[in-house]
Amino acid sequence: MTPDEVAFELTVDGVRHEVTARWSESLLTVLRDRLGVRGPKTGCAHGRCGACAVRADLGDGAPHVLCACLVPAATAAGGSVATIASIGGPDGELSDVQEAFLAEGAVQCGICTAGFVTAATELLETNPDPTRTEIEAALYGNLCRCTGYGRIVAAVEAAARTRRQQEAP
Amino acid sequence: MNGGGAPSGIGGRTPSSSPLAGSGRASGRGQAHSGIGSSVRRPDGPAKVRGEFSYAGDLAAEGMLIGDTLRSPHPHARITRIDLTAARALPGVHAVLTADDVPGDLHVGLTLRDEPVLADRVVRYAGEPVAVVAAVDAATARRALRAIEVDYEPLPALTDPELARDADPVHPDGNVYRHVAYSCGDPDARGVVTVENTYRIGMQDPAFLAPEAGLAWPTPDGGVALDVATQWLHSDQRQIGWATGLPPEKVHLRLAGVGGAFGGREDVTLQVHACLLALATGRPVKVEYTREESFLAHRQRHPGSIWLRHSADADGRIVSVEGRVLLDGGAYASTSPVVITNTVTLLQGPYRVDNGRFEGWSVRTNNPSCGAMRGFGVPQAAFAHEAQLDALASALGLDPVEIRLRNALQRGDVATFGQRFDAPTPVREVIEGVARLPLPEGPARKAPGGVGRSAEGGTVRRGIGYAVSIKNLAFSEGHVDESTAEVSLCDGHATVHTACAEVGQGFVTVAEQVARTVLGASTVEVTQPDTLVASAGSTSASRQTMASGTAVHRACLAVRDRLLGRLARAHGLDAAELTIADGVVCAAGKPLTSVAAAAPGQTFRATEHFQHPDTFPLGSPEARMYVGFGFSAQRAVVDVDVELGLVTVVQIASCQDVGTVVNPTQLLGQIEGGIVQGMGLALMEEVVVIDGRITNPDLQDYLIPTIVDAPEIVSTYVTDPEPGMPHGWKGVGEPPLVTAVPVVAAAVRAATGLPLPAVPIRPEHIALGIGAPPTVTWTTPRPPDPSRPPGVVVDEEPDAALGTMAEEGAPPGP
Repeated sequence: MTPDEVAFELTVDGVRHEVTARWSESLLTVLRDRLGVRGPKTGCAHGRCGACAVRADLGDGAPHVLCACLVPAATAAGGSVATIASIGGPDGELSDVQEAFLAEGAVQCGICTAGFVTAATELLETNPDPTRTEIEAALYGNLCRCTGYGRIVAAVEAAARTRRQQEAP
Repeated sequence: MNGGGAPSGIGGRTPSSSPLAGSGRASGRGQAHSGIGSSVRRPDGPAKVRGEFSYAGDLAAEGMLIGDTLRSPHPHARITRIDLTAARALPGVHAVLTADDVPGDLHVGLTLRDEPVLADRVVRYAGEPVAVVAAVDAATARRALRAIEVDYEPLPALTDPELARDADPVHPDGNVYRHVAYSCGDPDARGVVTVENTYRIGMQDPAFLAPEAGLAWPTPDGGVALDVATQWLHSDQRQIGWATGLPPEKVHLRLAGVGGAFGGREDVTLQVHACLLALATGRPVKVEYTREESFLAHRQRHPGSIWLRHSADADGRIVSVEGRVLLDGGAYASTSPVVITNTVTLLQGPYRVDNGRFEGWSVRTNNPSCGAMRGFGVPQAAFAHEAQLDALASALGLDPVEIRLRNALQRGDVATFGQRFDAPTPVREVIEGVARLPLPEGPARKAPGGVGRSAEGGTVRRGIGYAVSIKNLAFSEGHVDESTAEVSLCDGHATVHTACAEVGQGFVTVAEQVARTVLGASTVEVTQPDTLVASAGSTSASRQTMASGTAVHRACLAVRDRLLGRLARAHGLDAAELTIADGVVCAAGKPLTSVAAAAPGQTFRATEHFQHPDTFPLGSPEARMYVGFGFSAQRAVVDVDVELGLVTVVQIASCQDVGTVVNPTQLLGQIEGGIVQGMGLALMEEVVVIDGRITNPDLQDYLIPTIVDAPEIVSTYVTDPEPGMPHGWKGVGEPPLVTAVPVVAAAVRAATGLPLPAVPIRPEHIALGIGAPPTVTWTTPRPPDPSRPPGVVVDEEPDAALGTMAEEGAPPGP
């Protein structure tokens, strides 16, 4: 270990890792290059596109969606990260949000998709019946260059509708 | 929805209606619902929503090195000294290469081959690659770049395209990529009114979300392999071959997962560098650009200025059009010689113009190189001609829809460039289609503005604008437009192999739909595109459904005939009586066997080539520059805070000529995605170049539309099948963008009463009223001089060196 490195524990998608990284390394770099977790994508590396969005608990017990490219990995020491791999069933079953993204045509090149699914999943956990404005508020940190967003909004609305119907008595 | 051979009809759907969800769910269940015309899901979709799809940036190999690029900080400079000693001496550095280390031809390029792979004593744009390194990790590679000593002697930078023609050449090939000039009829004919103005279009970045990446490695045959995100495998292969000196059969390319393209991956960026580094080190080398490098390295949309003068009679019918175009091609040619003819010839718009005079230049400067971006020169033309139509309508007191209907091109009309519109030309139909769509009801959901700043109670005015466009489809002017597909079928499982780059547009879905429809296949695998099969051409020009889709269709037909021939022999039947429908082979209409069980264990295979009928350069006697055309009409509704200059696009309604609907969901995705990209160019996207340097090479300062900016989009279609294409399909990807640029501008003009002759329209243009209005002149009518020669008169010989795109690809198949 060199003087500019630090060792810490990090739980990613339920798996505990011992990480040695430089202080300056972003959570995204640690996930992708050190741990081989490739679900979060590198789109801009300056927090603008949301392709690297993950749900992280930085140790304060309040997990929330953030841009992994903006967080120094060491600040997540002892914390846990849920990437796109944590969404969906254990045998590759798709979550209702993932299913809706496919059905509604919200996926084209797909480089933004993991980030959108991550953010949309958090939205529906906290707000099962979001308005269009609430969907925009939750997803404006994610850029998509292919779809023009129409199918993404449709997918979130469809997933919310399906979930409400299933939960209705 | 599906034209299916029916005459022109309008099918439509709003984004929120239910058939979308319903048809999407049918995918992969029953074959009746998985063929052409249904919303089959993307075969790569499940991996993408799980985050498991592998993109070029995810590539890795045992023992790989990391490649990085030293770029010029100067827009124009002489390199007086390069010292690599310190960089090469750093531990962990395996290669440091400059122009002197290129074993083959130093120059590459899509058309003119004027661009050095690594700077050759002179740098001509800020960001030009000077040296590349390969090292054990990214940090070491970065240190190696810093250790390279380069002395530059700055030269005067030519950054104003207006000066390019008269300035000292900044390249041995001169400063003009191409000059086009032609006339038709009597350009001096006049109606009662002329309007003229100069329009400016900013530089747009493709801004695909996955920066360039690739992994190269040396191969046992002495060659090199490259997995890369690209639009055109065989073009990359050829240029790598030039620079490495290797024959094509020793340059092995495969398509890595592509995160968007929009034209920006048509030229090579890191392809050659990665291969040179792999050959020099004997190790796998990965190169992945940062967002900033991505802006510096790939081609942008040409910024330009367009002067147009329209003359019309009192009824608003166009009597003559004169136009002049200047496009800034930047430092190296890329596709500048091709883009300029698109802009110049389509200045007429989707309107009948019998008398005209058109001229244009694409020029070299020390600005960033420009090349392909979705629309390929036509958004520039459309922005200008549509502003002119509105200016004419305003001068004559005509409704903007009415003036467009009166001038609408019809089948049988002849273009200014001499080509007869001999396929469906539903201009009137798309205009009427869009005008019928309901306007948004009630007040706007949100105030003008976006994520950064929103209006707060200022004066908000609503505006409604219309625009119509013509876009040429597929390659033009003699550039061979072709593709090849290899299809096999065994036990109902089909495999489709082409070199067509899937960049997100959904070709993989179309290929699957074709195989299910024609072969009755129960499962379809679309294999990874590579250079083991002949070229598919570029994924650009709205062309891959037409070119590769048709090649797949032909190969599927051949496989089907082989299967049915075998069955006919086995059962003593006439093969002509056998058909396949819904996965079942029928003899004279009665089920015989399922496709899956028809010939157990036997493989049927065919490789088929498709090539569009030839096209010819502007001015050729054949008078056929373009393969075909697509037409689109849109209506935009905007709200504008006129004091702050903030705009919200409330709704865009679209009616597009699509031939036939191959996949409703994917089609809507192309329409919506294209419209929002066009809206971006109209309102917010501009690569700001000052003194030859890009000042906003990141997604913080280069703004692309967010979900907050995106309007409601209502989309309908005219389905008039394209002759010569299976199912009558045609390209659909570019027209939505082309039309969106002028339509948003028209609506903002309607809201503000301002001329707004430049895009992107910035808040200060509105708040301060920047931009000159068109000059309106009332004239004495002057009918066309009947002694003028008929047809197109090219004022200068067409450039003989149209470039190497014409040579691309394999000869026609057997």
